Amino acid sequence: MAKVTREVVERSGINVDQLLELLIKNASAELTTFYYYTILRFNLIGLEGEGVKEIAETARIEDRNHFEALVPRIYELGGKLPRNMNDFHDISACPPAYLPDDPTDVRKILEVLVGAERCAVRGYTQICNMTAGKDHRTYDLAQAILNEEIEHESWFSEFLGEGPSGHFLRRGETSPFVSKFLK
Amino acid sequence: MKKFTQAELSRYNGENGIPIFISYRGKVYDVSDSFLWKKGKHQALHNAGVDLTEELNAAPHGAELLEKFPVIGILED
Repeated sequence: MAKVTREVVERSGINVDQLLELLIKNASAELTTFYYYTILRFNLIGLEGEGVKEIAETARIEDRNHFEALVPRIYELGGKLPRNMNDFHDISACPPAYLPDDPTDVRKILEVLVGAERCAVRGYTQICNMTAGKDHRTYDLAQAILNEEIEHESWFSEFLGEGPSGHFLRRGETSPFVSKFLK
Repeated sequence: MKKFTQAELSRYNGENGIPIFISYRGKVYDVSDSFLWKKGKHQALHNAGVDLTEELNAAPHGAELLEKFPVIGILED
């Protein structure tokens, strides 16, 4: 634990235990989403599915990156990940992104994907609201992740016919916002 | 429809397998089936068995997410 780091966050008025619980729940959501997106991506096949596969893969890799970026902050603040993977799964900040009953229904898969991203957007907005102007490092991290989650949402939303995403697919490396936390 | 007082509502806090009820704008919702209300807590910040009208105003989502859950009663003042 980074003792002074935790102290200054506490002195800013943030309930650090509450913040840690949120960070751990969101780290769980990222790792479990990485797992579930693997299954979704494998089922994005055929004339409809192939077009979605690439962004699903980008979102999958970036969600794993989010998990990797969150964990150091959890330990800096004095938190830790659950010992048991089952417990970790069950405390996720977002529901499991299960493969739909009909795995050939690409629209249903897209609805699962966009639902997961919307949950993440809400979660990181909450953390940003909680830490803005108080816990600069957690805010910076949560904001970086939020930027990527918003892009993921907009990509899937576009495929669902909700309007243009306003974004191109990634060019080059993944996680343009979060990569600074991974070095 | 069943009427709840604040005290009655507070019993439905999800502890020991008790159903998980919350209130918003006078309606009482049963959120026991929600993955995000396990053990009567939501996102580390909100507890079940209470009126969340004020708290929802500050949440990163609106009341539309409550609509999929059954309304099982009315909260009395």
